[in-house]
Amino acid sequence: MNANFEKIAAYIRQHCHADDFSLYIRCTESHETRFAQNRVTQHLAGPTFSINLTAAFDNRTGSASVTQDDPASLDKLIQTACDIASLNQPDPEFIPTEGPKELPQVQNCDPATKELKPAKMMDIVQYMIDQAKAFDATVSGLTEKHFHQHMQVTKNGFVGYDESTDFGHSMTLKKNDVETKVSYDSKSYGGFDQAAEFNRLKEQAISLADKRDMDATPIAVILRPYALQDLIWYMTWMMDRRSSDEGFTPFTGQMGKLFFGEKFSLYSTLDIPAIKARPYGDGIASKNTTWVENGVIRNMPTNRYWAKTKNLEPNHIFNLYVPGADATEEQMMQMVPRGLILNQFWYIRSVDAKAGELTGMTRDGVLYFEDGKVRHAVNNFRFNEIPHLATRRILALGPSIPTACSAMLPSLLIDNFNFVDKTTF
Amino acid sequence: MRYLDLAIGKALDLGAEYADIRVQKTSDEVVMLRNLSLKNTSHNVIYGYGIRVFYQGAWGFAHNNVFSEKAVLATTQKAFEIAQLSARVNKDKKLRLAPERSYIAKYETPLKIDPFTVPLSEKVELMMETNRILLGYEGIRQAMFYIISHKDEKLFASTLGTRLELNTQWIDPMVSATAVTDSDSQSRTFDEGGRSTGWEWVLELNLQEKARQIAQEALIKVKADVLGPETRRTLILDPNHLGLTMHESVGHPTELDRVLGWEADYAGISFATPEKLGNYRYGSEIVNFMGDNTLEEGLASLGFDDDGVPAQKWHIIKDGILREYGSTRDTAMEIGLDYSRGCNRATYYYDQPINRIPNLYLMPGTKPLTPSELIADTEDGVYIQGRGSFSIDQHRLNFQFGGDYFWEIKNGKLHRPLKKVLYKSCNPEFWNSCDAICDERFWRPFGVINCGKGQPSQSARMTHGSAPARFRNIRVGGSQ
Repeated sequence: MNANFEKIAAYIRQHCHADDFSLYIRCTESHETRFAQNRVTQHLAGPTFSINLTAAFDNRTGSASVTQDDPASLDKLIQTACDIASLNQPDPEFIPTEGPKELPQVQNCDPATKELKPAKMMDIVQYMIDQAKAFDATVSGLTEKHFHQHMQVTKNGFVGYDESTDFGHSMTLKKNDVETKVSYDSKSYGGFDQAAEFNRLKEQAISLADKRDMDATPIAVILRPYALQDLIWYMTWMMDRRSSDEGFTPFTGQMGKLFFGEKFSLYSTLDIPAIKARPYGDGIASKNTTWVENGVIRNMPTNRYWAKTKNLEPNHIFNLYVPGADATEEQMMQMVPRGLILNQFWYIRSVDAKAGELTGMTRDGVLYFEDGKVRHAVNNFRFNEIPHLATRRILALGPSIPTACSAMLPSLLIDNFNFVDKTTF
Repeated sequence: MRYLDLAIGKALDLGAEYADIRVQKTSDEVVMLRNLSLKNTSHNVIYGYGIRVFYQGAWGFAHNNVFSEKAVLATTQKAFEIAQLSARVNKDKKLRLAPERSYIAKYETPLKIDPFTVPLSEKVELMMETNRILLGYEGIRQAMFYIISHKDEKLFASTLGTRLELNTQWIDPMVSATAVTDSDSQSRTFDEGGRSTGWEWVLELNLQEKARQIAQEALIKVKADVLGPETRRTLILDPNHLGLTMHESVGHPTELDRVLGWEADYAGISFATPEKLGNYRYGSEIVNFMGDNTLEEGLASLGFDDDGVPAQKWHIIKDGILREYGSTRDTAMEIGLDYSRGCNRATYYYDQPINRIPNLYLMPGTKPLTPSELIADTEDGVYIQGRGSFSIDQHRLNFQFGGDYFWEIKNGKLHRPLKKVLYKSCNPEFWNSCDAICDERFWRPFGVINCGKGQPSQSARMTHGSAPARFRNIRVGGSQ
């Protein structure tokens, strides 16, 4: 536990006389190096710190935040939050803060990552640039590390604290007309192998060298795990229980029903050490949650107000796990006459919230395969697709791998993915 | 403030070729109401300083929220050490800074009523009344209203001798109604995207009347027809729609850092490369875009940028031809310019400033033309108001946009309401298809308060603007 956080919490407990309050304290120590076209363009470091207090008098609430922790700043914080609450209109959806909870034990912090030195991070950047030059290419990207500390305290006795680390390295290589990207994002620097990472990037670039023009058409796709990650965040944002119950999403009236494809399941889990799991959110203890099981919707994220109103248990998405299977890309290519292999998506946005339709572009390399073999690269495409309907067309799954600090996802073979347009590169 | 001199002196002692310090206090007041329930009423302050050091062709930037002599000196030292590390990599490919003179200046957003002085009860009362109006319409199931009031108080000093005091503000009210039927849910939103002005703008807007209008339009929209399959059609785009289209298809492609490939790993690059300057036909001859950080009430009208470069006004596209970019001191030199256009902006004290879109707008048509005359002159088309779905590739070529409210035009008249309209186009086809722009009487600004870019991500603001404009032969259809 951060001693300064405890001191701040004690001060707020002593001096905040609101009927109820919730206090959040966050601190992140960051070091970030941006490089582009084989040189460093930005390089930044320092802490960010905030203290946020939501105070309530009866059912009237007010919030304030500050970035300093001296007594005068804390007094101002208390006064501002309480003044807003006093002046505010009653909130008919107010519910009291949570009391003491037993929280799961999680390990989101890697000490070696926390202690990673700037000089070492610069060595990584230098290595990647040297490799790119040797390959007669340019590389652009970001190397970053963060150490996060987070605490929530309520007047009713909830106390939550979490420490976590992130190490990230992403880079885009450009050689002639080929642009492609790889990224590593984990709570631990320990699994990062700079030589392997550059080789992965180089191999991807080589595979994309022979690029040909292709028109957009619905076609089978192999979504590599990072492409699935881009898509699945947007899909889960639409799965809010209240919005669904009120008729705003495609999931209205679908709880407990087979709505996704039977090959698709989605969980938040405390049981996979490779990915982070926030131990709490808004006073709710995280616990293993099945969102979709073999296509059936089992749960949707439910906030505390809606849970109380509808006599449900509140829950929240604290990481994403989609169990995979054992199909290799080679096996997937054998299952359909032809298709595309996608590395990443880009600029995904909602087109129709009620239908759950999204649009977006492919990015960082598209490969065309036919008769079980990769034939050549092709241009990028635009899709307009409804992800939950796309899961009904899953033909095969690959093994799940960690794709981000808090996501573990497989590759998917999906039939008839709805591409509607192409771009010129 | 004594810390300014302390940081600048320390940076020079360490051997910095250039350094600046930006002390920045950002205050936000957010009031958000959903169905008569206050979801978030907050006052947030983010206060600290960032120090940039330029050394042997490379940057170091360190930030801190602790105000003491010791902390300022340590932060300056850290910025210098980071710059030294960067310089090691850049030894054969150094960054350079465009020349700039020193300024001693003060700038404040002109406003009549400071939104932070308006009693909360007055704001909440207005919002409650507006929510009640929306929910009074049968079929409206969700009424939203937020008001964001924002203030930045900055002190800037640099080794050039510049000393700036910049106090800027903006305000953004947004009202939305969502209608639900058994088979569909559709929203209609009043959102001008924010302006650098005071509470007087909110009072002028007559939001109660706007609420009645959007409630009625949401009910029309939810029962409207879906346009058939995609075909080539004519579009008439309202200023509060066209703002986002120009943001994505002209604003971002003409940021010089993207042009140089500095955003290649995330936000993307640009097709509008330097060899196209002065000869590339970006749009038709009536298409003229200005970069203008002197625009009255413009969200990027800040007096100076975070390089200490004063606000300017310049042609980005003139008579349809690409003329210039939005630039910063470190990007300008890369294409041989010896001046910056003053587009380097950071969001908070802890952000290193990056090349940003200026206030950027389409000049109105020079011949008298009203929106009614434009519609009357259109046989078969779609009229789009408001912002909807938006997506564009990372070179800023291919794009797809939706909107917020749609009418089919037949034989010069608004024929029937539509929903779920999408159009697809690409650069330079889209801006070359522009064949009519209404005159200056119908020019309106549209603000963007959440332009995401950078690693780590930052959110910037700028204002766009246009009069209603017509585009021929665009692929338009209904979504699935």
